[in-house]
Amino acid sequence: MFIHNFKYAFKTLFKNKVLIFWTFAFPIILGTFFYMAFSDIEENEKLDVFAIGLVEDVISEQNTMFKEAFESLSEEGENQLFDIDYVDIDEAKALLRDKDIEGYVVLQEGVPTVVVGENGINETILQFVVNEMIEKNILMKDYFQYKPDEMMSFLEKVQSFAVNIKDVSNQNMSYTMVEYYTLIAMVCLYGGVLSLHAMNQNLANMSNKGKRISVCPNSKGILILSSLLASFVIQLIGLGLLFFYLICFLHVDFGDRFFFIFLLAIVGSLAGLSLGVIISSTIKQNEDVKTGIVIAFTMLGSFLSGMMGITMKYIIDKNVPIINYLNPVNMITDGFYSLYYYDSLNRYWFNVISLFLFTGGMLIISVLFLRRQKYDSI
Amino acid sequence: MIVFKTVLKILNRCKMPIFIYTIFLVFFGGFNMKTQDDALGFNASKPDVFIVNEDIDKGITKDFILYMNEVSHIVSLKKEEVDDALFYRDVNYVIYIPKDFGKDFMLGKNPQLLVKSTGDYQASLASMQVEKYMRLANLYLDINKNEDALLALVHENLEQQADIVLATTLDTSSLDKATFYYNFTNYCILAGCIYVICLVLSSFRKDVILKRTSVSGMNIKKHSWYLMISNSVFSLFLWFIYVLLSFLLIGKAMFSFHGLIYILNSLLFTFCALSIAFFISSLVRNKEAVNGIVNVIALGSSFLCGAFVPAEFLPKFVINIAHILPSYWFIQTNEIVKSLEVINFSTLKPILINSLVLFLFSLLFIGLSLKKNRRV
Repeated sequence: MFIHNFKYAFKTLFKNKVLIFWTFAFPIILGTFFYMAFSDIEENEKLDVFAIGLVEDVISEQNTMFKEAFESLSEEGENQLFDIDYVDIDEAKALLRDKDIEGYVVLQEGVPTVVVGENGINETILQFVVNEMIEKNILMKDYFQYKPDEMMSFLEKVQSFAVNIKDVSNQNMSYTMVEYYTLIAMVCLYGGVLSLHAMNQNLANMSNKGKRISVCPNSKGILILSSLLASFVIQLIGLGLLFFYLICFLHVDFGDRFFFIFLLAIVGSLAGLSLGVIISSTIKQNEDVKTGIVIAFTMLGSFLSGMMGITMKYIIDKNVPIINYLNPVNMITDGFYSLYYYDSLNRYWFNVISLFLFTGGMLIISVLFLRRQKYDSI
Repeated sequence: MIVFKTVLKILNRCKMPIFIYTIFLVFFGGFNMKTQDDALGFNASKPDVFIVNEDIDKGITKDFILYMNEVSHIVSLKKEEVDDALFYRDVNYVIYIPKDFGKDFMLGKNPQLLVKSTGDYQASLASMQVEKYMRLANLYLDINKNEDALLALVHENLEQQADIVLATTLDTSSLDKATFYYNFTNYCILAGCIYVICLVLSSFRKDVILKRTSVSGMNIKKHSWYLMISNSVFSLFLWFIYVLLSFLLIGKAMFSFHGLIYILNSLLFTFCALSIAFFISSLVRNKEAVNGIVNVIALGSSFLCGAFVPAEFLPKFVINIAHILPSYWFIQTNEIVKSLEVINFSTLKPILINSLVLFLFSLLFIGLSLKKNRRV
């Protein structure tokens, strides 16, 4: 009986186009949109060569030094910062107006003037570099004033001196990964729609099939379990497809601890299944309303765990952590994040255990509602 | 009136999704407003820096922290929050000052600073600031080994700065906000119009309802006309609400000529969204499919055309694809308005071209839906 019902529940669920769209196709489409929108965003946030104008208003020894310094910063190579247009003031103004340059520097009497079109990071860096040139100039004058005999060795030191800084940053800093993790978490919880549909087929107050099942002599437990297993298997197929697509086509980095990744995905799917079960067993409304509740709960959970902007997850984690401790979408997202970012597994296990507790709690409440349900008439 | 009343009844059932789209707009629009600085004149960018000081807070160590406080935002965090804060870009750069740093520095040992960085341009700026201070202090140490005299020399040097001029009279901060807001309305208008109009029209196009309408006394052309007007009234209402919200959220920038262009551009886009909705409703009659279609079209257009992520951050191939979508032309106009310094025919020309393309898109979708409906 178990296998028979499993087979037909599986077929019925698979033939439901709307369910299959939301659990199979929509996450892949959304993942593709994420990829198209975010694939260059982190690269664009890195400091890159940008165009500036250089106007030599007054020719002087000092300005020649500035000019040489700018030239060295525009030489192709690792240290290149600027792409310089040597222009007169009118051309510089026109280039700035047309946004062909970020700003221009006027070399005049005394300190240079920096002209920029707007506030921004490139404009700040241009100002910073010009200030640094001025400071270097003053440093030389100061040194010459104090120790004129050692000027040559000092010049060498200025050229070769390196500040002693060691960068100990984590290499896995790609925050857009969180978007894909929320996507996986969303699919796990969307599995609730499948289990909800499977459950409704077994509930006498929800479908004609449920009415027939309630009067048949078979064990209700076995029928419900086999239906839920069918929904779980379909959910895992959907997740497998999404993982395959994300890893092979979109090159999403889940790290190399595959056992933990799949364990988390399976436990997350169980959490989604339990969500569908509790909503179908405790809420006495039609299927559309119940489905709406699962989707609304999942979308709210996804929103709070960073799907529409990862800052939201951080804000909640930092200020109201209890919300994300109770949010199954965040438990899954945070589990993947901890695998990607941290070497230690403590945070990962905390999330897995939280998911088990969530699933167990939902299923116990559902069983309490479902057991010994009888109808005199319906 | 009967048609209009029925449309209102169906609209009443759709108020929740429209409400959610509006909440998204207010939330994301409002969130963006908070992150902007309202001051005019040039504002240097300041990276968010966290300093873990294990040295005594005096001498060169204290002075370095004071310098960083001047040129960056010093963030307050707990030590155990540092890694999460870096990943989520709450802080761009973390500096660990070791024990005896000041003492070793004055002995000329050039002691090591450990840093953690997000690797973005803000972090690069913070790194440049740290290097600049440390390089100057180290080099001045060759001139004077007395700590107070050394710090005086460093300060005197850092005080000399280049003049910086902001060559714009535009309130760039407010216009940035307005552009972000109106770019985001792309999603809300598109999703709202398609969702509601498809649901309304699919309700009227059910076989039973169609048959009932055709045998009724009402002229079928009149019926279609009423339907079109009802849907247009809804779209205008939606547009009006979003424009009203923009005045509340953005403020004075909306009362300028720039504000007027944002409003007119969004009106034209609403018309285009209406035509897209008509076209989709002529193709799809299944109510259950509407939700999926709305999400794919509205989210797709918004992601690909720069409504959520600025177009300058999108890959070139995505921008090329985006040219075939109306949202791209709508968003491009908003981006042009942001930096529109002088208003004359030549500066307005690109906006007029974008508007013409949007209008042609609208005509195309209307034509296609009319053709499709005629066949049915």
